Amino acid sequence: MTVEYTLQHILLLVALTLALIFTYKTLVERDLIEAIVYSAGQAVAYGLAFIALMAPDLALAYIAVGVGIYSALFIIVVSHTERYEKE
Amino acid sequence: MINQLLWGYYYAVLMLILFMSIYGIAVRPNLLKKIIMLSILSDTANILAVMIGLHVGRTIPPVYPGITFTVETLPNSTSLKEFAKQAVDPLPQVLVVTAIVIGLAVLVFLSFTAILLYRKYGTLDTRDIINRIRGETQ
Repeated sequence: MTVEYTLQHILLLVALTLALIFTYKTLVERDLIEAIVYSAGQAVAYGLAFIALMAPDLALAYIAVGVGIYSALFIIVVSHTERYEKE
Repeated sequence: MINQLLWGYYYAVLMLILFMSIYGIAVRPNLLKKIIMLSILSDTANILAVMIGLHVGRTIPPVYPGITFTVETLPNSTSLKEFAKQAVDPLPQVLVVTAIVIGLAVLVFLSFTAILLYRKYGTLDTRDIINRIRGETQ
């Protein structure tokens, strides 16, 4: 295995495990602002996965959309509606 | 051997994320939580599509290296074959770029629908919204 190939596997391992943890935290979180922050972390992890999958253009577009625009949009929704999720 | 284990782990993790997001869409009552989990679902589908285009052992992006505006040596057939053996498949990446933008448009539409529902019914909880709709009709 070459050096680049090993680095690709290490990056994919870290990124996908991080995405799994962040998705679980998003699912169980009651405070919607914190859920939005965890979802932004999941977007960063998917950006790393795109870099490991040899798609740097997708990583650029996806980190800008996932961290910036999605979070701003959901925070606008929270500011117009309610913050806490009921049981 | 370790290669197959690693790829099995990646697909298992992606399937877990997929099932968690589907659970969030189907079971969680809050509308904004449903929309957040829908964004995670579409991104996981994008990652799976890009992963199809990645053949094992390919380590460079699908851009021919070394071409600038002042081209000195044009690629010949042997160098192009060598490049095509190492680069990943560009077609799923091109499709995923459009999928990201379309997903953004869908999420903007759903978010403002959620705001309008909150203005009409005063809550984002789908059970309460259904109860109020039934109360209005009776």
